[in-house]
Amino acid sequence: MPKITVDGKQIECRDGVPVLQAVLEAGWDVPHYCYHPGLSVVASCRLCLMEMKMPHPQTKEMDWAPKLFPSCQTPVKDGMEVRFASEGVASSQSHVMEYYLVNHPLDCPVCDKAGECYLQDYSEKFGHASSRMVEDKHKNPKKDIGSKTLLYSDRCVVCSRCVRFGDEVAGAGELRVINRGHRAEIDVFPGVPLENELQGNVVDLCPVGALLSKDFLFQQRVWNLRSTPSVDPTTSAGATIWIDHNDDRIFRVRPRFNEKVNEWWISDETRFGWKYVADSKRLNQPLQRDNGAMKPLRWEAAPELLRRLLDEAASADQGVGVACVLSPMLSCEEAWLLSTFVRSRAPQATLVTGYVPVSGPDKTFPKGFKISAEKAPNRRGVESIIKAMGGPNATFEQFVKSAGDGKFKLAYVTGGYPQVWLTADQARAIGKVQTLITHDLFESALDEYATIRLPGASWAEREGSFMNADGLIQPFERALKPLDGVKSDGQFFHELVGRPGLYRGAKTREAMAEKIPAFGDIFVPRPEPEHAH
Amino acid sequence: MSWQAIDRKSAPADEGPGLSDAVKEKIRAFFPRYETKRAVMLPALHVAQEAIGYISVRAMKDIAELLELPPSAVMDVVTFYTHYWTHPRGEKVLMVCRSLSCQLMGADKLQHAIETKLGIKDHETTPDGKFSFMTEECLAACDHAPCLMVNERMHKRVTPEQLDKLLADADSDKLPMPRSDLYDAPHGEKPARGH
Amino acid sequence: MAYEQILMRNCREGGDPSIKQYKAAGGYQALDKALAMKPDELVEFVKGANLRGRGGAGFPAGVKWSFLPPNRTVTYLCVNADESEPPTFCNRVLMEHDPHMLLEGIIIAGYATRTTVAYIYMRGEFTEQFHVLQKAIDEAYADGLLGKNIRGSGYDMECYIHRGAGAYVCGEETGLIESLEGKRGWPRIKPPFPAVEGLFHKPTVVNNVETLACVPHILTRGLDWWNGLGTQNSKGTKMYCVSGPVNRPGCYEAPLGITTRELIYGKDFGGGMRDNMKVKTVAPGGISMGFLRGDMFPKPDGGKVDVTRDCDELDCLLDFDDPRHYGLLGLGTAAAVVVAEDTDIRDVLFNVTRFFSHESCGQCTQCREGTGWMHRVAARIRDGAGRQYDLDLLAEITKNMGMMPGLSICGLPDGAAFPIRTLVQKFRPEFEKRIGEQQADAAKRRILQTNPAAYDLPILQGRAVQPAGGTYMTPEKLKRN
Repeated sequence: MPKITVDGKQIECRDGVPVLQAVLEAGWDVPHYCYHPGLSVVASCRLCLMEMKMPHPQTKEMDWAPKLFPSCQTPVKDGMEVRFASEGVASSQSHVMEYYLVNHPLDCPVCDKAGECYLQDYSEKFGHASSRMVEDKHKNPKKDIGSKTLLYSDRCVVCSRCVRFGDEVAGAGELRVINRGHRAEIDVFPGVPLENELQGNVVDLCPVGALLSKDFLFQQRVWNLRSTPSVDPTTSAGATIWIDHNDDRIFRVRPRFNEKVNEWWISDETRFGWKYVADSKRLNQPLQRDNGAMKPLRWEAAPELLRRLLDEAASADQGVGVACVLSPMLSCEEAWLLSTFVRSRAPQATLVTGYVPVSGPDKTFPKGFKISAEKAPNRRGVESIIKAMGGPNATFEQFVKSAGDGKFKLAYVTGGYPQVWLTADQARAIGKVQTLITHDLFESALDEYATIRLPGASWAEREGSFMNADGLIQPFERALKPLDGVKSDGQFFHELVGRPGLYRGAKTREAMAEKIPAFGDIFVPRPEPEHAH
Repeated sequence: MSWQAIDRKSAPADEGPGLSDAVKEKIRAFFPRYETKRAVMLPALHVAQEAIGYISVRAMKDIAELLELPPSAVMDVVTFYTHYWTHPRGEKVLMVCRSLSCQLMGADKLQHAIETKLGIKDHETTPDGKFSFMTEECLAACDHAPCLMVNERMHKRVTPEQLDKLLADADSDKLPMPRSDLYDAPHGEKPARGH
Repeated sequence: MAYEQILMRNCREGGDPSIKQYKAAGGYQALDKALAMKPDELVEFVKGANLRGRGGAGFPAGVKWSFLPPNRTVTYLCVNADESEPPTFCNRVLMEHDPHMLLEGIIIAGYATRTTVAYIYMRGEFTEQFHVLQKAIDEAYADGLLGKNIRGSGYDMECYIHRGAGAYVCGEETGLIESLEGKRGWPRIKPPFPAVEGLFHKPTVVNNVETLACVPHILTRGLDWWNGLGTQNSKGTKMYCVSGPVNRPGCYEAPLGITTRELIYGKDFGGGMRDNMKVKTVAPGGISMGFLRGDMFPKPDGGKVDVTRDCDELDCLLDFDDPRHYGLLGLGTAAAVVVAEDTDIRDVLFNVTRFFSHESCGQCTQCREGTGWMHRVAARIRDGAGRQYDLDLLAEITKNMGMMPGLSICGLPDGAAFPIRTLVQKFRPEFEKRIGEQQADAAKRRILQTNPAAYDLPILQGRAVQPAGGTYMTPEKLKRN
């Protein structure tokens, strides 16, 4: 690992990174707009300039060169010495910041980016509060460039990150710089809007408020948002995300850097796939069938009731007639708690991997970003738990068939899918089970056969971990309080098993790892440097 | 109305004339000269502009298809260079140099004379479609300042007094030397010019 | 005294640009000489001539060639004929009258660098020159001077003209390469330099037209002849341009190192000022190099250079070194534009700032925003609404836009900063006087000034209906308030 000296301090850095990346990782705040570790280097914003020691042309002694170097373009070399804390660098930074304000409209009060805007931050830290330009600003127009994105090109600083993203990562190249000089702006070809499956990322990439998400437009000032680390619940890829929320409402989902999976990006599916969380059709009341009609059931009474029903069903034959469907939407911890509960009273119960929705083939983008076809986050997790638990198991199709053949007396079916997941035929087959307990987010075709129907919580209201398609176990935290009338799945299973206190993902994982050691090895991506963006 | 956003996503993507097969063939003839198809961009745009008078949105799309690029990449290039017109121009384009030498020698007066005589400003076209006018940075003929280009032909030391004669002259854009047809429209193709 | 016209031997009205004429004048003999040498010998030979690039930067051509990596299969030669620096026109004159001199230079340089394809990047405004040069290339192909097995030497080279479309920045070598590749002419970051990774990511040499035209003559006449011309670090002969209100505007050849005064007043050069006017200022190397004070100022004491005082600076030698002593960026293209005493210096400032704000490519922040800002300030000063503070402001903008190396990707902002800085510094008394004479309500009009840049480049007309000018401080709004 090369060692370099920055402002008199020696730091160790990764091989082959630019100086800028190295110093950002070491904690320096160096202003930059055009540089992004996931994109090619263009060195055009000229903010990250530094001074460097070079051999003097005559004396060959190392001395500060009388010029500035872009740190994003200079690779680290062992023993090199650079500095940012110098008058020349500070003066250059302050002047460049002034240039940025020459044509930038100071409309922060109505700008969505205000509060997380790097033009604001850098002006505050490196630049000026006001501009000395007294003439009219050159004002580029606002443009509607796609179904999900707006472009306020008057705010644009022409860092070209969005253009490079479109070319290099998304491979679609809809966005371009047009015109030149200070009239340069970003645009799409008329009638060829920004509509690729990764387009939402350009909004995150934009260091200022030029690219805006229509979904988030004027929804919330960003300083009111709180960010909770989470994992993408829509596909098996396991992209790590931030859930930005306030008052138990999600406002947006952003990518969370993950060097092993999604790097800096997420697909639009992930980004906008949270809407069902706030759906007004979500179930919020446990129900119990009583003489043919569904009657409300108190959450407090449910565990006892379930234990009783299970004991009845399993008393004669060790639970051969009991099945438990573990949905791939469940976290590993929840799946483990539920299967533990079922097996504790019905040792011969069949554990079933729930329905796994698949749509089309996997998609791979030019730089390797993947959208996986499997639209559930934890199939592998559930499968490994079932395997580790041993005993009878079945696939979802086998379960439906056996249920139709009248093999099961009791079944606990978990769902949790944002979309319709059962056909009427499948429901009819499962409906042959005498005691059917469903645990789902939305009404489904099973409802008319259910003995007990429990409302589930969405992933944002739960905590635990998902095992992605590559076997990486990634924890996620709870962002929202569950809907009124809903108990988080983990908490409920926790009570079923009879464990004391509150459900905690990490605690449960520890207990689980004692039984299934593979689950002791979780992956948490390294955080991005504080001053990187 | 600066708060209004221009609708770019449903803007017409087939505005204006497209390229004929003969023109496309002419553009393809440039392919062997370069390692990439993309490098044919500038020649292709020259040929297209020669053939249809300007670079229409549809022509950009056609060129993008020929060069196997997204159409936005063509738009990017077209807007960077000042020679390409994205709206129809007149039969004769009057280009007045506005750099220092020409301005010192009276390009301002010449520009003013053209603007008043034709009643058009920079990048505009007369209603009869005969003349368009634009100013250009240095035409590299400073020894003959002020200079005026009429399409391909350079007129040297032009005074406002000569303007009437120059505008009336049908051959004011004919070159005095044999032309190379490398960038010209294929034989028989007439540029559709004017509004 | 008249200097021998070597490059310009055929440059006169009515001269014949054909291969016949060129051969009759001894053309293509240097090529035979070159083909008899080994390519590396040829590079060493040109290195020995210290042939410094004529395009503006003055980098020795031979050294540039020697940077090519030794193990390469494909090499490109880009001939920079994108002559866009006002008021330069020597390449135009050369290509118009003696295109074969350029072609011979290209073939020799191509052989020396083992070039496979040479592209002549010619600016789009050159129309007549394009037809002349294309004809010359056709003649050369017909004569076996280009194509396969050139003159039986076994060396193959193709040569094509690539026409530009109006962008000053494409005269920068990497901007040129990007433009050739069919992209916008945004200069590339260096390293890698073109010699290592240039056109289509292959080793590439970029040379100016005049530089290449010198090569055949160095070969035929020898190093001693070449090194006998010019001054210490600036060898050889150069085509000087002079334009503006002089009696004989035009392109004239002389060894490097004549004085600016000779270029303006010499009877074989500019032939003096029209109407016996005095020179107010002159940009001796193209406008991006900066301005000198003219002879309307008194002569300096004892002929000593002192740019801090208002003295006549026409004794500046036009070689690669001396202009720096006068606060200029360099020799540039050695094309002088002369401004007479009756011209308002504010108009000069306006014109220069307009040029650079129009031609900035928009990649680096300082250049993109700085040139536009300076243009607006200059427009305001010209319209009689300047402030004394604007002069300090302009000086400050120029300082942090291009006075320190490394601030930007290419040299355009340096070229934009020097003329404005030198104008503001050297003509400050005049600016101050003009601003002082302004009407009392100047400050008010200053705000009412609409944005001149809004009408600057209407190339996407019809794209969208936009309000003219800015919308933050429209005149209507201000009047209402």
